[in-house]
Amino acid sequence: MLARVRSFLSAWTRRTHFEDSLDEEVRFHLDAYAEDLVRSGVSRREARRRARIHFGSVEGMKDDCRQARGLRLADELGQFLANIRLATRVLIRTPVVTSVAVVSLALGIGSNAAIFSLYSQFLLRPLPVAEPERLVNLEAPGPKPGLTSCNGAGGCDEVFSYPMFRDLQRQQTVFTDVAAHVGFVASVAYQGRTLGLVQGMQVSGSYFPALGSVPALGRLFGPEVDEPIGGQPIAVVSHDFWRDDLGGARDVLGDALIVNGQPLTIVGVAPAGFRGTTLNMPSVIFVPITMHAKLVRNVEEGRFEDRRSYWTYLFARLRPEVTLDQARAATAPLYRSILTEVEAPLQTGMSDQTTAQFVARALPIRDGRRGQSQMHDAVNLPLLLLLGVTAVVLLIACANISNLLLARSTGRASEMAMRLSLGASRRHLLTQLLTESCLLAFIGGAAGLVVAQWTLRFIGALLPPEGADLFQWTLDPYAVPFTGAVSLTTGVLFGLFPAFHCTRGLLMEALKDVAGQPGGTRTAARFRNGLVVAQLALAMMLLVAAGLFLQSLTNVTRIDLGIRTNDIVTFRLSPGLNGATDAQAQALFERVQTELAAQPGVTAVTAASVAVLTGDNWGVRVMVEGFDAGPDTNRDTRFNRIGTDYFRTLGIPLLGGRTFTAADVRTARPVAIVNEAFARKFSLGHDAVGSYLGRGGLDVELDTEIVGLVANTRYSNAKSPAPPIVYVPYRQTESVGALTFYARSTLPPGSLLRTIPPLVADLDPNLPVTRLSALTQQIQERGFADRTTTVLSAAFAALAMLLAAVGLYGVLAYTVGQRTREFGLRMALGADAGRLRSVVLGQVGRMTVAGGAIGLVAAFGVGRVTQSLLYGIDGLPPIVITAAVSALAAVALAAGFAPAHRASRINPMTALRHR
Amino acid sequence: MAPKSAELLPGILDLLILKAISLERLHGYGVLLRIRQISGEALDVPQGSLYPALNRLEHQGLIESEWGESENRRRAKYYRLTRAGQRRFREETAGWERLAAAMTTALAAASDEA
Repeated sequence: MLARVRSFLSAWTRRTHFEDSLDEEVRFHLDAYAEDLVRSGVSRREARRRARIHFGSVEGMKDDCRQARGLRLADELGQFLANIRLATRVLIRTPVVTSVAVVSLALGIGSNAAIFSLYSQFLLRPLPVAEPERLVNLEAPGPKPGLTSCNGAGGCDEVFSYPMFRDLQRQQTVFTDVAAHVGFVASVAYQGRTLGLVQGMQVSGSYFPALGSVPALGRLFGPEVDEPIGGQPIAVVSHDFWRDDLGGARDVLGDALIVNGQPLTIVGVAPAGFRGTTLNMPSVIFVPITMHAKLVRNVEEGRFEDRRSYWTYLFARLRPEVTLDQARAATAPLYRSILTEVEAPLQTGMSDQTTAQFVARALPIRDGRRGQSQMHDAVNLPLLLLLGVTAVVLLIACANISNLLLARSTGRASEMAMRLSLGASRRHLLTQLLTESCLLAFIGGAAGLVVAQWTLRFIGALLPPEGADLFQWTLDPYAVPFTGAVSLTTGVLFGLFPAFHCTRGLLMEALKDVAGQPGGTRTAARFRNGLVVAQLALAMMLLVAAGLFLQSLTNVTRIDLGIRTNDIVTFRLSPGLNGATDAQAQALFERVQTELAAQPGVTAVTAASVAVLTGDNWGVRVMVEGFDAGPDTNRDTRFNRIGTDYFRTLGIPLLGGRTFTAADVRTARPVAIVNEAFARKFSLGHDAVGSYLGRGGLDVELDTEIVGLVANTRYSNAKSPAPPIVYVPYRQTESVGALTFYARSTLPPGSLLRTIPPLVADLDPNLPVTRLSALTQQIQERGFADRTTTVLSAAFAALAMLLAAVGLYGVLAYTVGQRTREFGLRMALGADAGRLRSVVLGQVGRMTVAGGAIGLVAAFGVGRVTQSLLYGIDGLPPIVITAAVSALAAVALAAGFAPAHRASRINPMTALRHR
Repeated sequence: MAPKSAELLPGILDLLILKAISLERLHGYGVLLRIRQISGEALDVPQGSLYPALNRLEHQGLIESEWGESENRRRAKYYRLTRAGQRRFREETAGWERLAAAMTTALAAASDEA
C-alpha cells in the first residue's frame, strides 16, 4: 500500500519527469529494436518503420501506463477543466448561437423555477416546526345535525364540536396530544392606537406543545390555559407582528392588547417565521380557545358544552413509535363509541337512515405536515398545470438549442472527423461536446434564476394584496437545487443527439461537405424538422390551453350576476369587533348611511351583513307555509340581513310585493323578502308574497311574513348559480356587529373612495374601514386565482410560440443557407422568385400543418385535464381552436417569410460560386 | 518474426516479467528479448502491453527501476526485483506449478475417457 502511495505521489508530483522518462524509455526501445532489425539485414528506414508498426499505438500505451500509476483520475479532472476551458472558448467564438441559447434556456428554466417556487411554498413546504411529518389532521365527514360553522382552515367536513375534541384528547392513546384551533378576525389596539383588523387564531392549550414550538420571548400556552372557560385573557403574538407593529421590545410582555374590545395580556412571542397552521390565514395573534365566546360575536359560552355545535379544527402529533395506519385503527373504535353512546342519544328529529349514517361516521386522519388549509386543494391543480406548461416551454427551448448545436456541429463535422482519424477517442470528443452543452445549460440556469425572480415579482403584481400577502415572493430555497437538476438534465438532453451525430467520424462525407455538397445527412435533416414539428405541436397545445382559460374568464365576466355592479363603491365597518354595543352599532350604521347619501353624486345607499360576491356565505334552514318537509328534506337557503333601498341600489328588480322600509324595525311585525329561486325551491310559485316562514327546525313557528319577491342574483361567488335567498331587514334583527355598505354614484368612484375614510373617522376615529373598493374591482379581484392562471398560461403560451418561431426560423435559415447553390442553379435555369419562395414556404406549411395537427390532438387531453378549472366550457370550443390555429399559422408564416424572401433573392452567379 | 505458438493468459505476463528480471537487471527491450529467449521463441510479448505491465509492477512495489548505461552506451531504464518482488515471484512460481500440474492431470484424464 505504502509503495503504491509513494509511486502515485512520485509520478504525480513529478509529472513531467514521469512523462519524460516514459518518452525516453520508448525511444530507447524503438531504437534498440530498429538496430536489431538492421543487423538482420533490413534497411535503416524500413527498420524504423517496422519498429513503430510493431510497437503499436504509443499514446494508448502511455495512457495505460498512467492508469497503472493511478494517474487517470487526476488526469480526468485536468481533462475536465481543459474541456470547460475549451467549451468556454467555443461559446465565446459563436456569440449569436450562445446568446440565443442562453436566453431561451434562461426563459425556460426561469419560468420553471418560478412556478416551482410557488408550488413548493404552497404544496411542499412543511410547517416550520420540529418533525412536521408526524403531524396529522383529523376530519369529521358525515351528517352533522345542529350548527356547523367553518372557515378557511378547511371544508365544513373538518369541524368538530368542542366536547368531542375533549373526549378524543382525553381517551386517545396514539398521539402525544390533540390540538384544536379556530380562526377569527381580530380588531387590535395597542397603547391607545388602533392597529386595524388582523387574522387571529384561537387555540387549545395543547396547540403549541403538539407543534413543539419554542417561544421567541416569554411563554407559549400550555394545558393550564384550558380552564376556566372565558377566564384566560392572555395572548401570544407572532414574531413579525411583535417586531413590526408592537415595537419589537422585550418589555411588551405583560402589556395589554385590546382585542375585539377585550384587554388581553401579552405573555409571549411565537417563534420567528411561525404564522399559524393555516396557509391562507397567516395569523399574527394567538389566544386561548376558551376565550372564543368573549371574542366572537353572536357566540354563547354554551357552545363549549354543545355537542351539536361544530366549529373547531383538530390536528395531532403521532407518538414516535406509532404509524398513521395504527393511529387510524386505534381511533376509529374510540370515535364510534363516543358517537353511539354519547352523541346519538342527544339527536332529535333524525330519520333512521340519517341516524345509521351518523353513528357510522368515519374519522379520517391525514398527513398534516403542511398544516390545515383549503388552499392546498384549491391551488394544487392550477399549479401542477402551470408546472406542466413551463416544462413544455423548457422542452421547446431545449429543442431550439438542440437544433442550434446540430447546425453548428454540422459545421464542425469535418473538424471532428479529422480529430477522430488522428486518434482522438470518440469518448473524448463526446465528453467535450457534452461539456459544452452542459456549460450552456448552467449559464442558462444561472440566468434563469434571475428570470425566475422577475417572473415571481410579475405574478405578485398580478394579485390583489390579500392574495399576495399569503406568499413570500422570493425564490424558494428548493428552487436552486431544482434549477441545477433541470439544467443538467436539459444540458444532456439537448446535447446528446448533436454530439453523437457529429462524432460519427464519417471522414469522407465530412470532407465532401467542405467541398460544397448539400450539408447535413438525411438523419440530421429529419431530426431537425422533427424537432420543429414537435415545437410547433407543443406550442399549439399551450395556445389551446391559454385559449381555454381566456374563454373561461370571458365567460365568467359575461355572467349575468343579477346585480348592476357598475358605479358602486363598497366598504365594511365592524364596530362590533371594537366592543360597540348593539345600540351603538345601529346608531353608527344609520349615521354612516345618512352621511354617504349626502355626498355629491350619490344616488342610492344601502347596507348588508353578507357582502355579495366576495366569498362570504350565510346559510340557514327554514320552514315555509305549505311546504311538505320530513326529517331528511333539504330546507337550506342563503340568508342576508339588509338595509332599505338594497334592491334599488344594487339594481335588483322587484317582481312582486314591496321592499323594506324604515318602518320595518324590531318592534314591528317580522318581514322577509325572497327571490325566485327560493319561491321555486319551496313550491311557492306566484303566491310567495303573503306566505309565512320561520327559521330553524321542523317545529319552528312560522312567524315571518314574505312581503316581497325579487329576481335571482348570484350570491357568494359569480360562478355558482343563483341560490335561493331570504332577505330580512337588519334593523329587525339582533347583534348586527358589522355591515357592508354600498353607495351608487353618478361621479367616478375615485372621489367617493377618497371621501369615505375621513367620513368614517369623523364618526369614530378608532373604526377601521375595510374592503374599501369599487364593487366591480372587488368582484374581479375575487377571481384572482383564475385570472392569474389565465395570464400566466397566456404568457407562457406566447413565450412557447416565440421560442418555436425562433426554432422554425433557425431551421429555415439554415436550410436556405445550405441550399444556396441549388437555388442559384434553379434560378439560373429559369425558376422565378415566386417559385423559390413557395418552395421554402411549402416547407413551413408542411411543418406547421403536421405540428398543428399533433398539437390539436394533444389539446383534447389538455381540455380534459383543465375541465374542472374552466367555467362554461364543454370540450374544445371552435372559437378557441380557430384562434389557436390562426395564431400558429400567422407566427409560422412570419417566421418563414424572411428565409423565403432570401431564397427568392439569391443571385445565381454568387450562388454558384458559393463554396 | 517469432512464431506465435502460445497466447499469453492474463497475469502470466507479470509472472514472465518477474522471471526475466529475477535473473539479472534488464531494460524494457531486454525484458522482451529475454522472455522470447527463455521461452524458446515460443512466447512473444505484445510490445504495447510491456510498459504498462512494468509500470503496474513498479506501482505495486514488486520491482524498482534506475537509469543505467546500455550495452551500446545509451541511457536506459533498468528494472530489478525488490524483496517483495522476489517473495511474490516464488509464490507465483509455486502457484503456477501447482496449477500446471493439476491442469495436465485433468486434461490427461479427460482424454483417457474419450
